[in-house]
Amino acid sequence: MESQRLFRFPILRFPNTQAAKAAAIYISGALYAIGFWAMVDASIFSKTVNASVVHVTFVDWIPFICSTLGTITVNMIDKKQLMASDSFGSGSIRWQARLVLFIGCTLLAVGMSGSALLVILKYVVKGYTSMPTLGMALENIYATGSITLSCIILWVVQNVEEDYNYSLAL
Amino acid sequence: MFKLNPLSKLIFLSILIAIGFLNIVLSCALYDNWLPLIDVAIFLVAPLPNALAQSLSSAYEADFLSDSHQEIPIKEFFKFMTGFLVISGIIFPIILFHCHLITHWSLILSVAGGFIIYLSIVLFIVGFKEEPDEYDF
Repeated sequence: MESQRLFRFPILRFPNTQAAKAAAIYISGALYAIGFWAMVDASIFSKTVNASVVHVTFVDWIPFICSTLGTITVNMIDKKQLMASDSFGSGSIRWQARLVLFIGCTLLAVGMSGSALLVILKYVVKGYTSMPTLGMALENIYATGSITLSCIILWVVQNVEEDYNYSLAL
Repeated sequence: MFKLNPLSKLIFLSILIAIGFLNIVLSCALYDNWLPLIDVAIFLVAPLPNALAQSLSSAYEADFLSDSHQEIPIKEFFKFMTGFLVISGIIFPIILFHCHLITHWSLILSVAGGFIIYLSIVLFIVGFKEEPDEYDF
């Protein structure tokens, strides 16, 4: 029963009530909104008040799209398939679940590192480091970062819920 | 919770929603720039996911009681969408302000108005919910 815990330290207990879980899901939705609107803001800013020659194009959206696809993939997996012991579920489904989880995490990481790469290659290397121009690049990093954070919160909430159901069954 | 006459509740909520619309229309009309009106649409859509989740959960609980602790995945998605839409409604005027499309007074008026509209819709849903506990026993 003790091995069902998510973290190794028993101090790290998350609040288990239904309201806390709902609040965490709301917060993760809010973080996703912040990420999405940061990208939209960068695009509108580039179109309207941008005085420099750099503009936000489709390339700037690729890290955001990768992060979003990663979030969707990671949170679509049924957690029971990952947690099931060997004797219980069939091995192939667990293997598939791990593969899909790996792909989702890779997409999230590609989104994060892709935004950093984009900032360095498109802005810093070419010398556009003054603030209003660099702001469009920084918003890219904020966007992928907050989407990754929202994905982490959703994942943790779902795992805490498994624990809660287990303790209730005993 | 305090009990209110349904009629006075209704009048109070209608005044609240009128103030919200007044704020947003002022934010558009004073500066002759009708972009903040999109904010109304976002805040009107915002209560929809939770309302859908409410009807879904009541349909499920009628089926069986043993699994009532299990959160239905679609309900989690609806909660996610609610958080997304409410924050979107607040961020949208800020983005317009950041891109110099509206002035800062327009920003304040439209955020306040949108929030009041959302608040009044939520209060309407909460205030006129029927008590399901009486039929459980």
